[in-house]
Amino acid sequence: MTSVSVVVPVKDGARYLGELLDALSREGPDEVLVIDSGSADDSVAIAEAAGVRVLEVAPDQFGHGRTRNLGAQSCSGELICFLTQDATPCPGWLEAYREAFTLDPRVGAAYGPHLPRADTSPMIARELAQFFATFAPDGRPHVQRAGDASFLSNVNACYARACWQEIRFRDVAYAEDQAFGVDLLAAGWTKVYHPGAAVLHAHDYGPLEFMRRYFDEYRGLRETTGHIEPLRLGGVLGLVGADLRWMSAQGLPPGQRARWTARSLAHHTGRRIAAPVGSRAGRLPGPLRRGLSLEGRGDGTAPPATGEVPSGTPVRPWGGRKEDYMEAAMVRAQGATPLLDPVPGMADAERLRIAMILPPFRRGSGGHNTLLQILTRLERRGHVCSVWVHDVMRMHQSEWPGVLRWNLREFFAPISSPVYKGFDAWQGADVAIATGWQTVYPTLLLDQCRARVYVVNDHEPDFYPASVERVLAEDTYRQGLHCIAASPWLRDLLIERYGASADAFRLGVEHDTYQPRPIARREDTVIYYARQGTPRRAVPVALAALRELYERRPDTRIILFGDPTPLETAFPYEHLGVCSPEQLSWLYSQATVGLCLSLTNFSLMPKEMLACGLPCVELAGVSAESIFGTDGPLELAELDPFALADALVRLLDHPALRERRSLAGIEFVASHTWEHATDEVEAGLRAALALREQAWV
Amino acid sequence: MSSMERADGPPAAAELERLRARVTELERELIEVQARANAAVAAAQERAYWLERWHIDLNALMRKPGAREFRAILRAVRAVARQGRKLKRRLRT
Repeated sequence: MTSVSVVVPVKDGARYLGELLDALSREGPDEVLVIDSGSADDSVAIAEAAGVRVLEVAPDQFGHGRTRNLGAQSCSGELICFLTQDATPCPGWLEAYREAFTLDPRVGAAYGPHLPRADTSPMIARELAQFFATFAPDGRPHVQRAGDASFLSNVNACYARACWQEIRFRDVAYAEDQAFGVDLLAAGWTKVYHPGAAVLHAHDYGPLEFMRRYFDEYRGLRETTGHIEPLRLGGVLGLVGADLRWMSAQGLPPGQRARWTARSLAHHTGRRIAAPVGSRAGRLPGPLRRGLSLEGRGDGTAPPATGEVPSGTPVRPWGGRKEDYMEAAMVRAQGATPLLDPVPGMADAERLRIAMILPPFRRGSGGHNTLLQILTRLERRGHVCSVWVHDVMRMHQSEWPGVLRWNLREFFAPISSPVYKGFDAWQGADVAIATGWQTVYPTLLLDQCRARVYVVNDHEPDFYPASVERVLAEDTYRQGLHCIAASPWLRDLLIERYGASADAFRLGVEHDTYQPRPIARREDTVIYYARQGTPRRAVPVALAALRELYERRPDTRIILFGDPTPLETAFPYEHLGVCSPEQLSWLYSQATVGLCLSLTNFSLMPKEMLACGLPCVELAGVSAESIFGTDGPLELAELDPFALADALVRLLDHPALRERRSLAGIEFVASHTWEHATDEVEAGLRAALALREQAWV
Repeated sequence: MSSMERADGPPAAAELERLRARVTELERELIEVQARANAAVAAAQERAYWLERWHIDLNALMRKPGAREFRAILRAVRAVARQGRKLKRRLRT
């Protein structure tokens, strides 16, 4: 007769352990092994009193998969049964398992039903009965093969040693049995559901605990089988109805039925909420994950067991950002999609078909504001425009195109073009405009284009340390696209460093908003655009400069804005957070000196400050100098806290100097309008078409 | 001037001119069609904003079993309500 070992992992399982071991002694396996992982109750004493072998492991070494592997290793039976500490075998349990392994030559595992205990709640009892009935509608054992349900439960299961040795349990924190079921069928083994191999077992918790348990279960399922539970609240009433019918069939008195109906509603609603959340636990912060887990599971599995080769956790494909790089790889491998033949005179056509390809966006994005300010004006000039959002980081995964359009209009400018997400409806264009490095590669793959243009807002490789992103961003300038750069400095850089063909445009200012407001200008206020999450803003040096300023002039009022979170500083300041353009114009009109630094292309903000008559300090030796000159509206300083503090003090201490810079600033930016920027961009688009025509001739 | 140029020159130039004019006309048509299509899509996106915001696909919804019957019932109820209101107005006047 086939030898059978039974392994029972235990932790604080005294409540049912005695009953379980009594049932096992009746069933008569060859060996029983209890593995205790730090019980504080009498579990170990109960097991020893029953005369079974006890193996103790440290609680932090416990893992559902690894501890069962240890159990299988530590026993000798040809069949290895696993029971949980609260699963009591019913009479005939062991014989049923022995029979199961005779039903097919490749049976690797068998499992049986979980019967409710007398005090099990009706919704759990109904669910268990109906769930297991699906595996054997005729009440007979069934062999399951590849393509059948992969369900397997270590509450009550039995494995052929040869199968376990081949597959072994994954070292996962949860659902190791489900993973084994998948792996077993994939490896060509079969499994058997035997209705006779039954145990009494049911978890009963309060509604909240049930939610946390479902959170754990579905989190484990996602990690092991890749299952993602959809979010749907519908159907709860149907389940409550099923519970009601079950209670009625069981003859529960009306009072109890009413009480359990309320519980049933809470239970099923809780499950509908907790299950999808568990499936998406990876998106939750670590402490929240741990808090929601009934088992207190944090971020990972337990540390590797000592003396055992660590086994990895298989991860199924999910998410991934392959398209970021695959499009670049396709361009590198096979080149850009050929352009359409030019049509004579197309550069001078009155109306052009313009497609603007945008990267994902957030409210307040300066680059998107620039692009859409220009696009609205191109629309008004009669060009036929469309917007294509390349959702490379899946930031807009749950947003449909109409919502994207609404947001673009609300966040940036009132475009009238349609907005598409992805390129499934691509219809060709006279000019396709790439607008960020991520959009260049998909733009190069678009067909039915007469020309492609690259509106370059900044030198984006500088946004990254050594990385794939940096390399790919640099390569975008070498793809033969005609560039329209957001400053002469940037244009020259593209030409000199990358050999690109390039024009330039000057960022416009919304003069209706940014103008000197009727408010008295203070004499003591320095405002600083402190975007800590943007490294090119040189925040650490600016904060050091402001500290130096505070030490020299403790009465100076310092205001930080632009970041929703207050920054940690060594000087007192007022935190304004993110402000609207209207609020900013009033702030710029009242402040004494502005500080806004950029280590790459200068931003719009200094221009907006200047338009409100606010003199400001910028970095010398970078782009601002080439735009504004060395002694124009800006007070320039080296990237050094003391030099920047000197510049701030100069402006604060010398009203005449402030006045001169202020007037020069207002005069300088007066001609910088979005209409003018659009003229320059439109000229760039036509230049790209003309270049194409020239190349054709 | 060679005999070939004398024979083919003027007709070829005319043909070229005719083709250029045709291309210009087709280009103009393309722009018009594209402009109309863009305007229609933009208007549809404007109208469907709240449906899209709540991820409601009316086509998919109407494919569900019982959707047509539900719509027919709604229409019937609306028709009855309209008739009722009309009758009320008549009785008042």
